[in-house]
Amino acid sequence: MTSIVWTITGLLFAAGLAMVVLRRQLLAMLLGVELMLAAVNVALVHHAGLFSDAQAMAAVAIVIAIAAAEAVVGLSLILRVLRAGRGVDADGLSELRG
Amino acid sequence: MTLWAVILAGAVAAAFAGIMLFSRSLYVSAVCLLVVLLQTGLIFLLRGAALLGFLQVMVYAGAVMVLVVITIMATGGEPHGDFSRFADFSFPRWVAVLGFAIFAAVIASALKLGASSAAVAPADPALAAGFSAALFNSYALATEAVTLLMFLAALAVLPDKEAA
Repeated sequence: MTSIVWTITGLLFAAGLAMVVLRRQLLAMLLGVELMLAAVNVALVHHAGLFSDAQAMAAVAIVIAIAAAEAVVGLSLILRVLRAGRGVDADGLSELRG
Repeated sequence: MTLWAVILAGAVAAAFAGIMLFSRSLYVSAVCLLVVLLQTGLIFLLRGAALLGFLQVMVYAGAVMVLVVITIMATGGEPHGDFSRFADFSFPRWVAVLGFAIFAAVIASALKLGASSAAVAPADPALAAGFSAALFNSYALATEAVTLLMFLAALAVLPDKEAA
């Protein structure tokens, strides 16, 4: 069971990481981050049940709450960028490149 | 039963994560992420963390996905610029329906068999008690900080005077 859960976690995390790295749309990058957080939660929940670790389950609950807040802030930033007329692609945000 | 249900849910989640990666449309990506989150919530349930599974479905699949879809509608949802690095991927709708159907079927079978056998890993009472104790004793400061973070996140969506 552990190897299966780790395989699922790895596949989901790799897909999320690839979305963040390869996609140019800000929204797609945010969805990739959400996917990575969900993947990590799968491994945490499995091992919390395996070792009867209640603190890991509490950590999962906190990660879910932080991910929700992060999504709200990220979506607000994306809408703000769109209102500024810079489009929804990451290529339009080049002021911090140096 | 639990093993095969976890394998099925994980395979569906991985498949939809792949579709999410290679699809050019943000709508398709959002629907695929919804299926992935439902499947991960199902895995939580199968692993005996029913509360976290329901939390995952309510918070992610409920609240966050609604925000994502509304934002996609506000931004247009169609790809801009050069996306030549991705192949043109046409997403059949029946695949999404299949993902939701598998989710419903596994949930129904797990709940049906759960009454007579150990289809779903039973929740350990000591683990549940430890979970609440950890959340409100050991992690009490972190829980309060997350609550404050949620309030700050709510402030982020308020319109400012310049935008209005």
